[in-house]
Amino acid sequence: MGAIAPIGASPGECFESAVCGRSGVERVPAELYTGTASLAAARVRTDISGYWPAHQRAQLDRAAQLALIAAAQAIADAELYLSDEESLRAGVYWGTGLGGATSIEESYRQLLLGSGRVRPTTVVMGMNNAAAGQISIANGLRGPLLNVSTACSSSATAIGEAYRALLAGYADVIVAGGSEALITDGNLRAWDAMQALAHADANDASRSCKPFSANRTGIVLGEGAAALVLEREDRARARGARIHAELAGYGNASDARGISKPDADGQVRAMRAALAEARANPDDIDYVNAHGTATQIGDVVETTALKCVFGDRARALPVSSTKALHGHLMGGTGALELVLSIGAIGRCVIPPTAHLEEPDPACDLDYVPNQARATRVSAVMSNSFGFGGMNAVLVARAYQS
Amino acid sequence: MDTIKTIKELAAKQFGGEADAIDENAPVDQLGIDSLGFLEFLFELEDAMGFPIPQESVAHVRTLRELATVIDELIAARPAAPA
Repeated sequence: MGAIAPIGASPGECFESAVCGRSGVERVPAELYTGTASLAAARVRTDISGYWPAHQRAQLDRAAQLALIAAAQAIADAELYLSDEESLRAGVYWGTGLGGATSIEESYRQLLLGSGRVRPTTVVMGMNNAAAGQISIANGLRGPLLNVSTACSSSATAIGEAYRALLAGYADVIVAGGSEALITDGNLRAWDAMQALAHADANDASRSCKPFSANRTGIVLGEGAAALVLEREDRARARGARIHAELAGYGNASDARGISKPDADGQVRAMRAALAEARANPDDIDYVNAHGTATQIGDVVETTALKCVFGDRARALPVSSTKALHGHLMGGTGALELVLSIGAIGRCVIPPTAHLEEPDPACDLDYVPNQARATRVSAVMSNSFGFGGMNAVLVARAYQS
Repeated sequence: MDTIKTIKELAAKQFGGEADAIDENAPVDQLGIDSLGFLEFLFELEDAMGFPIPQESVAHVRTLRELATVIDELIAARPAAPA
């Protein structure tokens, strides 16, 4: 696994921050944003400028840079060494909402307000599949390649589709995940115009994202990337790979209702499909990493959907939104949250929902408020719901040979 | 103006290394510059020179020395700046 996110530059660091309540959220600096609202965002603080020589970096949008770092970590962690022939059956399935939109925004800024000139690298940096292509090029992965764009569920969908491709035998190993880097003036203004963004907490901007709390005010945009090496069980066992977890089920169902308004029905069907594929009962799930973006409506709808799927089990089921700390990584968020969920399996600790100060009567589940919980975790569910009504749910469990 | 010096200094800045160590007579792809990288380099060079470099004028350029010759021709063809 690999991750570079606002709360850490590796899966281990991210998990530790999630458990300890270390926030990656801060007030948006004035030089980044021309609007009038007081906004917070979660940026990757790690200095990544030294990873490539300047001329190589000049061809990589920030989202692709973060993607390459996460993918390299995952490949190193998996000790994945591929022969020429094996590389033909090694793929990349990558999720991103808006790909290299930062580069496109910058090119328009230069075109209309700046030099009036457009850089020759704009197309290869801005295209939505740039990160997927760069990962494949950097690592010599020559099998199936797919770029998935289902808004906020992009990387969860990419992981789910990679899982299906492995089951169907189209590949033996796939680097799957997602990335996003859109803490830009244009993007902040666009989300702000939708009135979807949280106000910066006046007392402590790092606490601006408050999922499931009555005083929640909306989404905090984040950036980052996370990647997992998915491998067919027979191959992983044959080479003696260290297996973090078994990906056991994937559900994909859509709302067919509102373009931005979530709906419980599609979420319920996605969760049920993932449970069914994993041959898991509601009682088998020890932890749900919620989508939990901290919008007024989103948290209530997800709560309703969880009650519908889990029935009597719902009130005793630990559910948390780690977005309180790492923000909403958009297309990258599902991958990071699966990495954190698998971390919970490995370390037997459930990361809390931070900043849950005021219980909301409409959100009445066990959200693991503010304090991590040590407990046995053998199966987890990770929810990702995207604009367009695109829901992707993943179920993973402790690997048993 | 020493055009080749400007070009080599810009190439060193963009692609790394020392300007003096760059072989101005080597094909640019042997300097580790791919076609897109060369376009990006020309974009930066336009900024440095302060005038556009038409694509057709550099279509057959293989080395930095040849590029410097083209740039010098472009400079010579430009109307003299008003005194």
